[in-house]
Amino acid sequence: MSPRRTLFLLVVLAVSAPPARAQQRDSIEALKHLTLDQLMNIDVMSVSLRPQRLFETPSAIQVITQDDIRASGATSLPEALRLASNLQVAQVDARQWAISARGFNGTTANKLLVLIDGRTVYTPLFSGVFWDVQDVLLSDVDRIEVISGPGATLWGANAVNGVINVITKDAKDTGGLLVTGGGGTELRGLGSARYGGGLGAHGNYRIYGKAFSRDPTLLSNGQAAPDGWHMGQGGFRLDWDAPDSNRLSLHGDWYDGRIAQASPGHIGVSGGNVMAKWAHPFSARSNLTVQAYYDRTHRDIPGTFGEDLDIYDIDLQHRTVVGTRHDVVWGFGYRLINDRVVNTAALAFLPPHVARQWFSAFAQDEIALASDRLHVTLGTKIEHNDYTGFEIQPSGRVNWTFSPSRTLWAGISRAVRTPSRIDRELYAPGQPPYFLAGGPGFRSETELAYELGYRHQEGALVLAFAGFYSRYRGLRSLEQVNPPKPTPIVIANGQDGESYGGEATASYRITDDWQVHAGYTELRIHIWPNPGSTDTSRGTAESHTPNRQLSLRSSLRLGAQWSVDGGFRYLAEIANQQLPAYAELDARLSWRPVAALELSVAGRNLLHEHHAEFGTPAARRDIERGVYGMAQWHY
Amino acid sequence: MALLKAAFTVLTSALLLVQTPRASEYQVKAVFLFNFAQFVEWPAVAAPDPQMPVIIGILGEDPLGTFLDETVRGERLGLRPFEIRRYRELTDITACNILFISRSESERVAEILAALGKRPILTVSDGDDFAKRGGMIQFVNDKNRIRLRINLEAAQAANVTISSKLLRVAEIVRTPRP
Repeated sequence: MSPRRTLFLLVVLAVSAPPARAQQRDSIEALKHLTLDQLMNIDVMSVSLRPQRLFETPSAIQVITQDDIRASGATSLPEALRLASNLQVAQVDARQWAISARGFNGTTANKLLVLIDGRTVYTPLFSGVFWDVQDVLLSDVDRIEVISGPGATLWGANAVNGVINVITKDAKDTGGLLVTGGGGTELRGLGSARYGGGLGAHGNYRIYGKAFSRDPTLLSNGQAAPDGWHMGQGGFRLDWDAPDSNRLSLHGDWYDGRIAQASPGHIGVSGGNVMAKWAHPFSARSNLTVQAYYDRTHRDIPGTFGEDLDIYDIDLQHRTVVGTRHDVVWGFGYRLINDRVVNTAALAFLPPHVARQWFSAFAQDEIALASDRLHVTLGTKIEHNDYTGFEIQPSGRVNWTFSPSRTLWAGISRAVRTPSRIDRELYAPGQPPYFLAGGPGFRSETELAYELGYRHQEGALVLAFAGFYSRYRGLRSLEQVNPPKPTPIVIANGQDGESYGGEATASYRITDDWQVHAGYTELRIHIWPNPGSTDTSRGTAESHTPNRQLSLRSSLRLGAQWSVDGGFRYLAEIANQQLPAYAELDARLSWRPVAALELSVAGRNLLHEHHAEFGTPAARRDIERGVYGMAQWHY
Repeated sequence: MALLKAAFTVLTSALLLVQTPRASEYQVKAVFLFNFAQFVEWPAVAAPDPQMPVIIGILGEDPLGTFLDETVRGERLGLRPFEIRRYRELTDITACNILFISRSESERVAEILAALGKRPILTVSDGDDFAKRGGMIQFVNDKNRIRLRINLEAAQAANVTISSKLLRVAEIVRTPRP
């Protein structure tokens, strides 16, 4: 074992760290265990770290709660992400999804940062996400925070157009046995079991396992496409609350799956991760979080490529109040990847084996002005990567809560999308002469984003609106090496672009048992070649996004036993794929005859027998209507 | 590599630090608000359904941030979950069991309490003289500690029963009679 790895394992075993909000919870948990007398003897500090309500956050954030996920009948993470109307979500085939925020969508969409319990899940291969292997036990999800717009200062590279943050529940909140089983059409079968309990005086644990099998989608001729698949996953989580309010948590997941494909053989995917987090409050004015993880993925696509990827990552964050006005967060991170690609006749990553590292540091100061109603947040991230060296990503934001129910915010941010392996090292075919000969000169794509938002709460009605304009420079292009000769081509930064639009949401609680929600997003993207570029695609390869989308949801509880939920969505056409507009409906009926048992039946994509959501006419797959039944027993 | 070593040094030294328990003022107040639900009884009309949520409302500028939301998350009082609502206007207050009135509303406390009348809502505030002005529970900052001041008559008038366990740790005050 190399010294580097030994040290890393030491850190993994010794420590750990959740986001600031989780820390807040720890000290609250400790306080809740105190008697009234003890509570009255706690020393309090009047100027202290105050967690921000989402309502006051100076960015376009939407939150998907556990209740939202359950009511939607979603059975996978991408299905649950449809609940955030500031995301563009399209199912490509049985296992592939195109998910992005503020456009630039595609199966290799590369401007979104996705985290599961603080673990970055986008691949350094193409800066995008293999959605087929990002799974969690959905009933263990506490919430999913979805931020559209740049979040690079705090979150880091790739948070160009948005951040998805999946947060699972503390082990303390998942006690007992939970068994779920069901199946139907499309989702052929799904089974899961989770068990949680106490571990000593201050610890809790849970273990889980799940497996599912999904039907293939349809080819354009109506025949079944060769993309049916099945997968199994298991994992654990330990949370330990020390009496002195230190907090440790350790979790891990393993998965293994097989996916059918058109060429001979099956796609094999497997992997796992283990993460440790440690949170330590020094006082009510200062706290430290540290997290470290190891993540391994294996993917074998016979005839196309194979990959074994190891990621080592450590992050440290310190938050403190300085004086009476400054809430300062700073931290640094280190990331090492070891990526080994098995090249084929079809394509090659050259060199096939690389080790790359990233260093980052950030600092942010939230300054309270005007009696806590006006906040200015200034910050920057500095990052070093092996491809382009130092990158700076500053941002400035203002939020003005001018009444308890009205917040106005604005922000200007710079974000970069640093090169990934696909931008620099992809060659096709696998042997010379190459048609595509890498991107030796590819630099970072940059974005300058201007945002403005407003939130309003009026009794049971909550409204939010965000508008944005973004200017992109150096977007990825394909350039002819010896024009007018069409080949070979290389990857470069020959395009610029801009995007603008608005995102609006409204939630209304009609009665205590009936809530409705609407989301609407309008979006335009223009991409053009810079002088000297030979790319005439006008961004066709970089963004496949509808101009508008609308979603409506209703959640109705009928007495203590029954509930009826529905979700309608409309997406405009994707012009550069000649993909027609479509509307679809999901619905779910649930019956809870006794507290421990819930029986439900859910329909997905009910309006049409089949429809397409993504892809050019020749390549697209049709998604079929699906119905499934599910039983869940919690003991 | 150097960074990793630095991180490791910071970690180990942090582990060795000794600390005294301290918490933020509104964190403690949030926990108090949550605890009150266990020491108060409301007349049956306030919760006809045994699974109805216990609603804690905040009127005016909210100093609690997410402290209160974090405190009640996943908690239940018997079968009843907790729910936090934020009100701007008095008329927004429909079903509510515990109402925290922000200091921002200090100037119109009399008006608020008069409008609530005898509705069975436990009123709580950290505004000056809240209990003497007819509010039920007042948080009083005494040096770095939080004390409770309870106006028992005000609670009784609204048919809200406060447990003796809570009364024991509080200072009992009356509304001065003219």
